[in-house]
Amino acid sequence: MVILFASSCRKGDKNNFDGPNLNDLFGPFSIIDDIKINKNTANFPLDNELYFSGELSKNTTWIISITGEITGAKRTITGSDRILSINNTAWDGGANTFPGFGLENAFIEISFPKEENSPVLYDTVSITNTKIDNGYLITSFENGEGANWSKFNQTTVRGQIDCGTGESAKGNCHYGFNGTVPWDWAIGSVMVKPNSGTFGLPASASNLYFNMAFKPMENIGIGNTFLQFWFDEDDNGDGVFDEATEDRFIYEYWYEKGGWNLVSYKYSDIQFDENGNQISTNGNGLPEPSKLVSINVFYLANKDNGNAKALIDHLIFTTNKPYTP
Amino acid sequence: MNRKILIFLFIFLANFAIGQQKKFQINGAARGYFLSNNLNLDESLDSVTTRKANYGHTLLDLGFSLTPNKNTEILGMFRIRNELGGFWGGGVSFDVRQLSLKGVAGNVVRYEIGDIDLKMTPYTLFNTLEEGVINEGDVFDLRRNIVHYDMFYNDDNTWRMQGAKMNFGIEFGNYINLIDVKGFITRQRPTDGIIEPERLYGGGKVKIKQSDNLTIGLNSVNVFDLTETIQDSIQFKNNVHTFDLLYSKNINKTTNIGMKSEAGISGTSYSNYNDTRAPESLQDWFYDIALVSHLKNKNLKIQLGYKDVGADFLSTGAQTKRIDYSRFPGLYQQITNNALGRPISYTDVISGNTVNSFKINEQLLPYFAGYNNISPYGIATPNRKGVYVNFVKSDSIKFKNTFINASFMTQSRGTGTTVKKQFILLKAGTDVHLNDFFGWKKQLKIDLGMRYENTSRNGESYEKGNLNSTFIDAGISWEFAKKLDLLVGAKLWRVNGIAYVNERNQFNTIINFDVVNYDFTENTYAAGIRYRFSDKNTLSAQYQIFDVNHKTTNSINYGISQFSFLYSLFF
Repeated sequence: MVILFASSCRKGDKNNFDGPNLNDLFGPFSIIDDIKINKNTANFPLDNELYFSGELSKNTTWIISITGEITGAKRTITGSDRILSINNTAWDGGANTFPGFGLENAFIEISFPKEENSPVLYDTVSITNTKIDNGYLITSFENGEGANWSKFNQTTVRGQIDCGTGESAKGNCHYGFNGTVPWDWAIGSVMVKPNSGTFGLPASASNLYFNMAFKPMENIGIGNTFLQFWFDEDDNGDGVFDEATEDRFIYEYWYEKGGWNLVSYKYSDIQFDENGNQISTNGNGLPEPSKLVSINVFYLANKDNGNAKALIDHLIFTTNKPYTP
Repeated sequence: MNRKILIFLFIFLANFAIGQQKKFQINGAARGYFLSNNLNLDESLDSVTTRKANYGHTLLDLGFSLTPNKNTEILGMFRIRNELGGFWGGGVSFDVRQLSLKGVAGNVVRYEIGDIDLKMTPYTLFNTLEEGVINEGDVFDLRRNIVHYDMFYNDDNTWRMQGAKMNFGIEFGNYINLIDVKGFITRQRPTDGIIEPERLYGGGKVKIKQSDNLTIGLNSVNVFDLTETIQDSIQFKNNVHTFDLLYSKNINKTTNIGMKSEAGISGTSYSNYNDTRAPESLQDWFYDIALVSHLKNKNLKIQLGYKDVGADFLSTGAQTKRIDYSRFPGLYQQITNNALGRPISYTDVISGNTVNSFKINEQLLPYFAGYNNISPYGIATPNRKGVYVNFVKSDSIKFKNTFINASFMTQSRGTGTTVKKQFILLKAGTDVHLNDFFGWKKQLKIDLGMRYENTSRNGESYEKGNLNSTFIDAGISWEFAKKLDLLVGAKLWRVNGIAYVNERNQFNTIINFDVVNYDFTENTYAAGIRYRFSDKNTLSAQYQIFDVNHKTTNSINYGISQFSFLYSLFF
């Protein structure tokens, strides 16, 4: 007891407190150190990432909104730390979703929504080189059609690569379908193949994601339009895909919402249907990305709803996590 | 089915009693209670709420005591309750209010099984009296006793639990006079089989009486979940181990001095909880040391002490509040045209329209800072340290229950800031028996009590707070005719200032602060008459007026007036 009495000052209690900081809850807000971006010209392959720095008088929510002048791409970074630094504000040049940023000016807005009468800060950064995607890019349609590609379009459908329209999800080009097919749901397809052999993907399907940008524009709505992805694998490695003896995995993606959608799923999931049942194929039945020799993107829409129009862009495989535009 | 069983048991016991006159005793209580309430609220604010609310009940608690042999006693009590307005059995309930068995094993160990009352020290297991009672007048005491009796809140601060307890003593010759050992184990909660494991609460005390001057005690209480009673192996544990010491010595014929102290540690753990907010373990400690002096020639006892109770000190058995102030009262739950929830006011506390604890709780229940901000969880309130002094005057013919208490405390650890709150408490009370001044035989007694509390914190503007709470508790009891008493009383609160009230999650972690700007008065006046058939049998009628007046614009001013009629019998 004497010992306790002698040690009446609790260790650490002088500098600690319980509960949230009153300063953060009720203290006055001010910007102690101006919030600045480290560079106003962004060459992402070189710079890797940009960041903001500054100091506030309290921990409070802040929102950094970055908007592409041409693409309209958006990236939002939020936080509530008093100190803004590379640890909590780093921007790798990516967007929240498609479309991604291009070579353009990006407008920056910094706001503090929980602080009444707080200022809104503005800045601009010029993107001179966009970020390099981590992954296995199949095509972003920037270099035209490949030598081994094949296309199918109904007679009334225009299906082709379009460039320079300002509508692309990534870069300057995309692939578009547009036409009226009152007799059939099938609108058109594009089968992407490597110039030779396989796409050079890794062997493991369990941590490999297939990603693509999809923008349904006409004949839309739940249950009205969908994509079929055909993944053809050369199981026996003879350089030729034989549908009768090798795996063709067909995966369906149905319309969810308008605008650019990020279609992303694990490659190992293509062996299951929507109910989780194993689908039947003519090969060994195993998704083997290293044996993938073609990807067919097949666009279908309700034949009773008039003209159908959709865009696709940026087919890319990523490892461990879905693609971030 | 239960009703039939109870009736059968009743008939059986009655027959048994006839045949076993000497081994059977009947005791219990009977009550008739009628309460008529009237809400007083500006019609422009509330044209919706029904103003009148009446209810009442009659009940009989029929207890029996069986003594099948000289070392065993069986205690049971049935409750038959009839809500007024019930018809042909509607609103009638039959319950077992108490069932316990006690005895002495081998003429050494005393035991009790079933419904048991338990108390240890103020830091281990202690049922602290609710706020707003300082030498309370009889007019309020009459109705508060109803709540206390129903909730088993006894005057000796025990908690009613279900389980078993035992104790035995060993007498020695030299060096040590006596060692007294007590132990108990209770079931706090059965498992629901899904998410809540079964919870037990057990502990004990070893009291060593070295001499008439020195007594020391080792105390331990432990809450623990049984992990295999649900699929998940979550487990809450709270262990409190303390050491207490009582020393006194006569230094001359008129003066006795000594020391009274308790110190200990608590450990709390939440094992295998999925909720990441659950702290794995928390430990803290406390001590409370007081010098005591008894000046016999002045009939005065003085206690001067210092205590430090850690911010993480958790003792579920000592810190459970009787009233949960976060819950809305049972009467007029919503008022005004906007159906605003009505917070608990003191008239609800007196009437028992509050949600009361009937068992110990691992959570520090929300409290009302306006009533008590310095010790909302009793003597064991965590995060308090400082000095206190108590003066207690021995009862005389003219004055009884005379005391003055003062405390000057600070927080052990800041809340929301490193700047700590400071607390001042002044409390005093006395019962003045005026009839003894004038030599009247019939009692004329004035009960007086007051409490002043101040909480302050310095610092930046967003840290500063200053809360004052003044409470006056007064009553008069006048026997104006033989056994017929006139009772009047008042309870007056005046609270103003800013309070930063802790908001805690279920793991007792402070997650926010409710900044409240109080500026109100709460006044309760009551008057009534009581006829005493005997000390245990009374009939009373009283009228009570309550109103709350806020000076801040965002609170509702209202009042509740009550007429009550109470017949009470203990036998």
